[in-house]
Amino acid sequence: MLFPRVVVAGCGNPLFADDGFGPAVIEALQEVDLPGDVKVIDAGLGGPHFIFTLLDPEVTKRLIIVDCADFGAEPGTLARLSVEDLPPGAYRDAHSWDLAEPLQRLKDRVEITIIGCQPKHVSAPDFEMGLTEEVRAAIPKTVSFILKELGVENGAL
Amino acid sequence: MSKVIEISPTTRHEGHSKLVLKVDDQGIIERGDWLSITPVRGVEKLAIGKTYEQVPKIASRVCGICPIAHCLAGIEAMEASMGVYIPEDAYLLRVILQCANRIHSIALHNILSLPDMYLPGTDTKINPFSPEEPVRSVAKRIQRIREIGQTIGEISGGECVHPSNPRVGGMYKNLQPRAKAKIYDLAKEGLALARDQMEFMIAIFRNYQKRDWAEVGGMQVPIPDTLGYHNQGYMAADPVYGSSSLDENPRWDPARWNEVRPWDWYMGEMEITDDFPNYPVGGTTPKGTKAWPQMEACTGVPLYDGQPVEVGPRARLNVFKGYDEKGTIGQQIARQMEYTDAFYKIIECVDALNCGASVLADEIPQGDGSLGWAANEAPRGCDVHLARVKDGRVQYYSMLVPTTWNFPTCSRALTGAPWQLAEVIMRGYDPCVSCATHMIVVDEDRRLVAEKLIQ
Repeated sequence: MLFPRVVVAGCGNPLFADDGFGPAVIEALQEVDLPGDVKVIDAGLGGPHFIFTLLDPEVTKRLIIVDCADFGAEPGTLARLSVEDLPPGAYRDAHSWDLAEPLQRLKDRVEITIIGCQPKHVSAPDFEMGLTEEVRAAIPKTVSFILKELGVENGAL
Repeated sequence: MSKVIEISPTTRHEGHSKLVLKVDDQGIIERGDWLSITPVRGVEKLAIGKTYEQVPKIASRVCGICPIAHCLAGIEAMEASMGVYIPEDAYLLRVILQCANRIHSIALHNILSLPDMYLPGTDTKINPFSPEEPVRSVAKRIQRIREIGQTIGEISGGECVHPSNPRVGGMYKNLQPRAKAKIYDLAKEGLALARDQMEFMIAIFRNYQKRDWAEVGGMQVPIPDTLGYHNQGYMAADPVYGSSSLDENPRWDPARWNEVRPWDWYMGEMEITDDFPNYPVGGTTPKGTKAWPQMEACTGVPLYDGQPVEVGPRARLNVFKGYDEKGTIGQQIARQMEYTDAFYKIIECVDALNCGASVLADEIPQGDGSLGWAANEAPRGCDVHLARVKDGRVQYYSMLVPTTWNFPTCSRALTGAPWQLAEVIMRGYDPCVSCATHMIVVDEDRRLVAEKLIQ
């Protein structure tokens, strides 16, 4: 089975500074013992074509996406977003075959939560590695939040 | 006098690009320029001073859809510079990963190509998301093939998007016998599906080739017999996997490669003279807008033996198997023929794999600054990475990615076609234009209310 009941996908590009927040959270989650029906995936920029368009709603019931999102708050602030909160095109498959949004297709059958972190610095179009201090500091909180969402107890909670 | 039409952005492929087309009174392209309009820069600079383990991981992040090709090409460029020879079983695992990635890619591209094609015997274009038969069964088959490709990739590569198993010197882990058996079962299931899918797609493309016309945005346009023809030649390093400077007979040659600036290749400044609001999706660029391809193109123009060349499935089949069908349909059919080849190759590698053997080189020299290169045959074509490593640190790094080769070649292939079919020709290349960020920008009027914040 490629995708189990729960999928946690970290989206973004570590080559554009704070855009690497999603993959960095996945790296932290990989250190934690998680239930067998949870899969955490470093989606990079491949979320739409490698994950969202391949999920089977008969099997996967919960999708948590971790990404950086600009909502005008202080850097490092976290927000819990739903598919309705996203502007059009946010996770349109980059291949944009019929301009349908893969998350729109899934949202009535899969419970989707997007955890957005306000970035401080996104370097595009220039490559720059490393998260800013504020955004790095948001990683533990994000991990705790996800564990709570998944109903996983760990010592830190 | 020539008219100028611009399609921007082009759709149903990865990344952002556009087509600037000079056409005659009948709308036939006299000269077309297809160019990347995504500025992404700095990977070469970023790599300098990093370790040879870090750089392939960095390289694999430049694209959302080709991380496997870039990861393998990056690692093998390091190995080539450092003189690292990997064990046979590590090589087999890499080939399995490569083929799994190719299978997923072909299946995904089927979905992108079908909407331009017609159901045979009808004047109805195919909607791959239609709940009607026969399309519904085809769509389910495509999804299953994608799933099989990604699952095999995950087992051999460690993770399904950014592979964690490949490393300089070989692979971190060999397969357990159970995992090997699983790949074998999946490949056998996939092979049967892929054969059916290949035959279906070839029938669809042949049907298009026999048609006299196609409908695009309410316009009926003739389909020329020479749709997508060019005389630029082909470049490929291997029928399936790749080649590197460590090979006894390397099948790519840096001395034959040269690069010119977009300024020397693309058209100069011009004004859009005609627009078509009904052209899908969202119409062509409004007339009066300025276009300046030689200034706007974001990639250099790589040349092999002094000219642009085609890379990809047809290039592989041409160079290694004598396949010679030209044009867009010939290119699409070549891609379908790689479906079963990829599954056969996986089965062959799984048969040969010894699960008990080491998959890591005994010795990893740290590099003396020699130039090494690796040419990986990515789904979209030859992906060449070049590196110099000294004392474990990268001194020089460069990437020649597949679609960069295809931009100028496809530009030449546009000539002689009705402008409305320019995107059909372009999609034949399964283009992958560099990615930018995928950051969400929440609109002003959607400014988040306090209760959404996570405390």
